[in-house]
Amino acid sequence: MADILFYVFAAATLISALLMVLSPNAVNGAIFMIVSFVSTAALFVLLEAYFLAVIQILVYAGAVMVLFLFIIMLLDVERDDGNYLKDKLSLAASIAGFSLVAILIVSAFAGGQHLPETALLPVAENPVGEGAGLEFTTSAKSFGYSLFTKYMLPFQVTGFLLLAAMIGVIVVSKKHEGEVGK
Amino acid sequence: MTVGLNAFLIVAGLLFAIGLLGVLIRKNTLVIYMSLELMLNAVNVALVAFSRYNGTMDGNLFVFFIITVAAAEVAVGLAIIVALFRKRQSVMVDNLNALSR
Amino acid sequence: MTATQSLLIVLLAPLFSAVVIALFLRRAGKIASVISVATAGLIFAAAVAAVQAAGGAIVHDSWSWLTFGGFEVSMGFFLDDVSATMMLMVTFVGFLIHLFSLGYMADDSSPARYFGGLSIFMFSMLGIVLADNLIMIFVFWELVGFSSYMLIGHYMTKPAAAAAQKKAFIVNRIGDLGFVVGIAYAYWHFGTTDLEVMGQLVGANPALINASIAALLMCGFIGKSAQFPLHVWLPDAMAGPTPVSALIHAATMVAAGGYFLIRIEYLFPPEVLSIILWLGVFGAVYAGFCAYARRDIKQILAYSTLSQLGYIGAAFGLGYPGIALFHLITHAFFKALLFLGAGSVIHGCHHEQDIFKMGGLWKKMPITALTFLIGILALCGVYGFSGYYSKDAILIAGGLHNSPVAILLTFGALLTAGYMGRLFWVVFFGKANSEAASHAKESPVVMAVPLIILAVLSVAGGWLGYWPDALGETIKADKYELKNIAGYDAMHHKVVLLGTAAWVIGLLGSFFFYGRGAREDRLEKTAGPIYRFLQNRLWFDEVYNFYVTRIQQGFANVLQLVDVILIKGVLVRGSAGIVGLVGMCSRSLHVGNIHGYVYWFLAGLILLWVTAIGILG
Repeated sequence: MADILFYVFAAATLISALLMVLSPNAVNGAIFMIVSFVSTAALFVLLEAYFLAVIQILVYAGAVMVLFLFIIMLLDVERDDGNYLKDKLSLAASIAGFSLVAILIVSAFAGGQHLPETALLPVAENPVGEGAGLEFTTSAKSFGYSLFTKYMLPFQVTGFLLLAAMIGVIVVSKKHEGEVGK
Repeated sequence: MTVGLNAFLIVAGLLFAIGLLGVLIRKNTLVIYMSLELMLNAVNVALVAFSRYNGTMDGNLFVFFIITVAAAEVAVGLAIIVALFRKRQSVMVDNLNALSR
Repeated sequence: MTATQSLLIVLLAPLFSAVVIALFLRRAGKIASVISVATAGLIFAAAVAAVQAAGGAIVHDSWSWLTFGGFEVSMGFFLDDVSATMMLMVTFVGFLIHLFSLGYMADDSSPARYFGGLSIFMFSMLGIVLADNLIMIFVFWELVGFSSYMLIGHYMTKPAAAAAQKKAFIVNRIGDLGFVVGIAYAYWHFGTTDLEVMGQLVGANPALINASIAALLMCGFIGKSAQFPLHVWLPDAMAGPTPVSALIHAATMVAAGGYFLIRIEYLFPPEVLSIILWLGVFGAVYAGFCAYARRDIKQILAYSTLSQLGYIGAAFGLGYPGIALFHLITHAFFKALLFLGAGSVIHGCHHEQDIFKMGGLWKKMPITALTFLIGILALCGVYGFSGYYSKDAILIAGGLHNSPVAILLTFGALLTAGYMGRLFWVVFFGKANSEAASHAKESPVVMAVPLIILAVLSVAGGWLGYWPDALGETIKADKYELKNIAGYDAMHHKVVLLGTAAWVIGLLGSFFFYGRGAREDRLEKTAGPIYRFLQNRLWFDEVYNFYVTRIQQGFANVLQLVDVILIKGVLVRGSAGIVGLVGMCSRSLHVGNIHGYVYWFLAGLILLWVTAIGILG
């Protein structure tokens, strides 16, 4: 059952991402993007990272993409023509990008040195406590536990980063003399 | 679930490639930006997969930080695009080129 | 007044005079000449004072000039009997020539330049004489070369003078190349270039003598003292004024090479000494032959100088530096006398220099003629004159150590008497052969007095017994050594006999062959091919000219090609081109197109990934 779900959601992720890239209408692209993000959240659920799945939907699909939609509609961008591969450069781009992936996949499976398939081990419900390392658990409590012990410094720095971003946005979006707004 | 690590990595890789494709062939700045977000998302998938298969929480925590930073980055980036639009009245990359050839 | 203070006056007073003339007195010829002559007299007095103050002891003072870490260059005085003798000779003969120049250059257009040149020459020459280390000698060596250059080219408007001054300087420089390499090698070998210290080092450990150092230092001597093969500049240098020829190219500068050898005589192993010996002998005989085909009175005397410089080299090569010094001093006296006499003749004949256009000057210029005769007798080595004592010693030394050398040198004496006789009979006897000669009259007092003084010295200069104790120690030591060799008396008699025969046959033979006051050269008339062969002087000038214009110029053209194509084209323009190319490539990165930037990003990413995998190793 879980396998089938995996294939369904993986396909959903990839196809909607591809459609996002190829759609001439930017709003359509944004909607496809949301679908892709939701499918990714489903993948996270399959990997038993429940907290992250919720965060993904809340932040990415809910906040980031909504912001994108606001801006797209604010700026009222025009429709692209759907012809993307008309110049050689774009063709080269496509080939470059996909050969990159092909090489990656081949190198993952080729040779005798690729990692053996690890089976999914059963996981504990709650964090064990001090001195036990960061074991994989499905509870959100382990997030809080790790954030305030091992990852204290990045946590604080991220706080400052958000502050800086907030101030930056306010400053950048101020209107100056003689500018035409929309 | 019998799907192995490699399957998740393939998904992440393909997603990354699609994002890269979007950056390279689209001319609309906003769509380029969304493709960038796709690439970040692909990395997230890979990290969570590694984290689960190694049995540690570090990968998940890193994804947490990535999501936070990506959100901040999107905010600032979109503000910049809006400011740029005010200046140039266009978001097409060709029209934003100020360096003459 | 200590010896060092007197020596400082001796060295620096002419420099001061030259600077004052150069800066202030360019147009005031009279004042410049007076200052220069007065300075010359002053330094002679100071030189006498210095020798007296030293009282026979060695004076060695030095001051540090440059210091780089462990390497030090100092300037100093080294006054022993050799340098005292040389200093007195240079200052005295120089003073007499300064006096003579007052009369000779009276109608010259720029006397200030001339006297300034004479002063700077005295400074440079005395620097060489008094120097105490090789580097100081080299500095003054080059200064002497410069003074010679300036003075040869005094008659600026004559192209022959300009060519001659360049030739003199360049040929000298060729010798100086070996010289400077030798100095560096000597410093590296001994750790010092101080003459006294090197002498002590070699005296304590004779194994330190190095043939290469000696041979390299010999190159400087070959250039400066016009030994074969760098002799070609001396005849051309006669384009300068006659007093200059007397002072520089007879008495002092060309002797500086021989003097330098005598200073470093302890550095010479037998192999190098034999090279110097044979070069000297060849020069002596070769110059003797060449003088027969010359018509210019100064050219004949120039070849005579070349011949006598060969004698000095031969004396040194036989291992008797003291005798070389002796001949150097006596030669200075009688050769300066001969040149000044020639100058008197030229001045009297209104600057006519061809001997076959003179004639009958014995009656018209008696003092000049008599002093000239004394000079010739001294040069030929007639018994009792100064030249006899020094030449005799050389021939005896040759006879006792190396018979072919003695035979060749005696033959050279025969040749000398021959061409000097030719000059004397043609110029001073018979009838006047030109307008100018028929109106000749004796030179003024200021020119006659130096001639008389030099004539006295040409006679008495060889009587070693009368020399003061402080001088001539080395000379007397060598003569004593010679006297004590077995077979000295027999050889002495043989040499006196053969030498007398040589000059008698030479003088009488030339009298009968050329005749008195001849109008044209009899050798040219009767034996034309021989005369023309002698005139060509073995084609040295032509060979050097060919080498310079074809080979050296060709090589220089090849180098120029290398310079233009390789260095300018490939290296300079090429590297600039590469930089430009890099710039253009870098410029292509800044397309302004966002997609271009992403491609570069991708390329960098792939490169990083490939490196990380390890494909590139």
